[in-house]
Amino acid sequence: MRELRSIGKSAWRKDGIAKVTGAEQYASDVLLPRMWHARVVHSPYAHARIISIDTTAAEAMGAVCLTYDDVPKVRYNERIVSTPPHLYRDRQVLADKARHVGEAVAAVAAPTERAAELAARAIEIEYEVLETIVDPEAAMRPDAEPIHSSVLLGGTELPIDNNVAVNRTIEVGDIESGFARADHIFEREFHTSRIYHAQMETKSVVCRPEADGGITVWPTTQSIHNVRQLLGEIFSIPLHKVNVKRVAIGGTFGSSIQMNSVIPICTALALKARRPVRLVSTREEDIYDHTRYETRIRLKLGVTDDGKLVAGQMEALADIGAHNIQAFALLSVLAGWWVSLYELPAMRFHGTAVYTNKAPSCAMQGFGNPQATFATETLMDEIAEKLELDAIEFKLENYVGLGGTFWGQGPSVQSIVQSDGVPELLRVGSDKIGWQNRPDPGSQTGRYRRGIGMARGFHTSGAGAPKPGEVIDYSGALVKINEDGTVDVVHAMMDHGGGTLDAIAKIVAEELGVPVNCVGISPADTLTTVYDVVTHATRGVYAGGGAALKAARKAKAILLDYAARVLGIEVDALVIEPDEDLCQGVIHCPSVPERSITVGALAKLCQTNSWGSIAAVESLRQVNAPPAYVSYFIEVSVDTETGHIETRRVVVGADCGTVVNPAMAVGQLEGGLSKGTGYALVEDAQWDPETGQLASRGYWVDAKIPSISESPRLENIETYFADTYEPTGPYGAKGVGEAATNPCAAAYANALHNALGIRFRQLPITPELVLAKLRAQAGETLLGGQTAGPASAGSRGT
Amino acid sequence: MLSGFELDLPDTLVGVLDLIADGRGTPAVPLAGGTSLIVDMRARRTMPNAVVWLGKIPELRGIQVTQDHVRLGPCTTVSDILNSDELAGSGVSLVRAAEAFGGQMVRNAATVAGNIACNSPASDLVPPLMALDAEVILESRSGSRTVALDRYFTGYKEDVRRTDELITGISWKRQEESSVDLFHKLARRKGDAITVVGVAVNMAVSDGTCMRARIALGAVAPTVLRAKRAESMLEGETLTPGLIEAAARQATEEASPIDDVRASATYRRHGIQVLTARLLTQAWGRLT
Repeated sequence: MRELRSIGKSAWRKDGIAKVTGAEQYASDVLLPRMWHARVVHSPYAHARIISIDTTAAEAMGAVCLTYDDVPKVRYNERIVSTPPHLYRDRQVLADKARHVGEAVAAVAAPTERAAELAARAIEIEYEVLETIVDPEAAMRPDAEPIHSSVLLGGTELPIDNNVAVNRTIEVGDIESGFARADHIFEREFHTSRIYHAQMETKSVVCRPEADGGITVWPTTQSIHNVRQLLGEIFSIPLHKVNVKRVAIGGTFGSSIQMNSVIPICTALALKARRPVRLVSTREEDIYDHTRYETRIRLKLGVTDDGKLVAGQMEALADIGAHNIQAFALLSVLAGWWVSLYELPAMRFHGTAVYTNKAPSCAMQGFGNPQATFATETLMDEIAEKLELDAIEFKLENYVGLGGTFWGQGPSVQSIVQSDGVPELLRVGSDKIGWQNRPDPGSQTGRYRRGIGMARGFHTSGAGAPKPGEVIDYSGALVKINEDGTVDVVHAMMDHGGGTLDAIAKIVAEELGVPVNCVGISPADTLTTVYDVVTHATRGVYAGGGAALKAARKAKAILLDYAARVLGIEVDALVIEPDEDLCQGVIHCPSVPERSITVGALAKLCQTNSWGSIAAVESLRQVNAPPAYVSYFIEVSVDTETGHIETRRVVVGADCGTVVNPAMAVGQLEGGLSKGTGYALVEDAQWDPETGQLASRGYWVDAKIPSISESPRLENIETYFADTYEPTGPYGAKGVGEAATNPCAAAYANALHNALGIRFRQLPITPELVLAKLRAQAGETLLGGQTAGPASAGSRGT
Repeated sequence: MLSGFELDLPDTLVGVLDLIADGRGTPAVPLAGGTSLIVDMRARRTMPNAVVWLGKIPELRGIQVTQDHVRLGPCTTVSDILNSDELAGSGVSLVRAAEAFGGQMVRNAATVAGNIACNSPASDLVPPLMALDAEVILESRSGSRTVALDRYFTGYKEDVRRTDELITGISWKRQEESSVDLFHKLARRKGDAITVVGVAVNMAVSDGTCMRARIALGAVAPTVLRAKRAESMLEGETLTPGLIEAAARQATEEASPIDDVRASATYRRHGIQVLTARLLTQAWGRLT
């Protein structure tokens, strides 16, 4: 293969200068003539029927008010990534009944934000407060108050019993005889927490009604096309009159996969007010809008004496909060992630997703994978310890690798693994951390105890598969070569900050043989781009980049046809190579050096001779979803007097195929570590069982995520990449983003076991939990005569 | 969103005292760094009709160290404390607390008087100041008075300051050479996090005898408080590991922590025990 010119070299982000200077435009920066500002009235109750809404006073203040009576009676699911038969629709633009604290029940628009806030406060709402259900087990009791009586599945009314949104059972092989073959059976329960995405930008939107009855929308979103389709459906506007514009997004971690609840509210207000309206969520509103799925997982694994897994069973209970955004898909992926970690000849998965009166859960970085991996990798470490096997060898013996069937995003998304850096990742990582020299678990005494833990995992690159399944996955791109030899890439994909669009520019530059500086990413909207499903599932480079590569190949063929005509050389003999000095691609034939032409000169010739544009539009469905593997080795030090955990050293390796932009890929790994550390040790969203309020009440002051102080020093974070090539990816690339965080919590739990001889199966592992377990291990209790449990969610401050 | 209020910008102390003494309607509230007051106003926990900004009076800010005393102007910021060479030699526990205080932007704005006046039991600056036997100077149109910080707080979010009084200074005696003052806090992360347990210790030793012991505890009672019975177990004694453990245990008895979102009462009690013993051991070790 020829030498790569753009791919594999670190490059600055194309939007970097705009971002650091503040010139970048986010949704909340869109300011339009005649624009009004919106505020939303949220339910203070977790579960309440709305008896009446009086907007008289707010309207007397000049505000335009919106209540349930004003909005289209269309039930929708905000995440239209699942195929229609698998879409559970349970919400409307404004709620007919409050199902969680913070649910939108009314909204206003007024000339200023202040006027809107005052008007919102003037709206009087009478509620009938219902039983608050915070605990998912309690939600399933027969006498529990129903949160939804029925929802729409596809187009059919589906009654909801016992607040169970969806159940799913998946079985492969004969589970009974599988466990019968096992010499040892391990069964453990795990509990993962319900944390907030904590993305930088709060959900925002501007909507402008157009004179022809259409709308233009600037939203915080991961998918402009899905927002367009949903708004068209809810407000009965034909799609050619719904234009959704891509604006920069201030991070998401999955929080905007769905069409955010503020978008149709703002649209309804703009249509009613007949003027542009801007709606920006406060942080407190945003915290009450979405969370990660909390899970309780019961995992059972059967293994032979010689360390071969023979059967597995997972029972998962997922707390989905007040709305079903993607519970069916969550249960699919929980099963999929789990069985794709290790070969299980016989497996059974049973998942239950339950409604509670809490903020709706949605995908968050890894979408079920951090949860499944935490349980699996913690239990695998324990099995290795109990059977006196080296954990790394035990995992290498059982993992799903080259030639294995990889489930990726669930049973309908199966493909064969064609690139596999796992052995390299584990061997290099164990050398770097000093795996062989780690202490024996629980062998240390004294105040500080040190431990090394390891966990591995992966994420899919996209949700593509050989056959249509439960999830939509394809991308499209337009590549056009301008009359000076520069290139426009028109692509609907969002870049969450990971550098997806920069990677796409590199892929196009590489294919066309032009310098990457000659490739621009065009502003995008739904009128001028072809469909892209959404930036999620670590699919940006693999699927979005794949589509851009396909379009670039076609544009290149057109270009070379013209070049052959102009140069008088057979098209198959021509190559294009970048000339950085000219800032041009140069088309030539190595054996006929005197005949060459720059891409710019040729494109200009095409224009002046009226031959036509050099452009191509393509759509690509990837038929694989290859695993991007990641391994974590973490060294911790525990202060056994206070329970505080210090992260001393981290070694993170990734197999993302060809590394498109090394600096950005390292950034993904470091970011994954930070988010993973928060999940493992710090972030703890407690909900008051009486009020259904967050114990933090939505304020950062008590909703802590790790700061830079919790990170090891940069010289103690070592990253590396496996040398692999994915044959189905653009230039051999796979994804990396979500993979970067998935195994992190399990690596911490395993490191803590190594340090203390104690297993942690509950997140987050707080100092308080560490101390309580240490005391229990020593048969002691803390002062006060009782063992410390998780802090109760009292409303008193100190 | 902030509720509507009148903002006054006096440029003299007398101007401030006149405005806060004005009896019309609800009292005017002094605004220094605003890192607590503005947050409370945005959350509508407090809705004053009038706010008096102190930032136009430069003499309210600054650190004065004389031969015998250290005096902080009320608008001295946490960053000022952190960057002060003088305090590093006569109030280092306060510098330690400043290091653990909020984030950089909060430290740049928050003031020492504000940290006292907001009356938080989880205050970071109050435990070291209380252990240093600091006094609060209160001024009003009718005169000034000095109150020991130890007696300043009267209950949860309650203190002795009248609404017509302004904190115009915080002072303490410079510490003799044979003394040590220390501070440590536990929180859910290292910085920019509200204290779960804060302990300040101030000790003077002469001829192998503990002459003065001060133990101030934060975030474990309705107010920051001194563990006076624990202190009296140590004064006049030669400290031993057993005595230190007993005093630390006594300190836990003097606290009345609660369960909340940040930690359980049980963990807080344990934290007092660990930190108090640790700081007493360190102080004794340095002085003997």
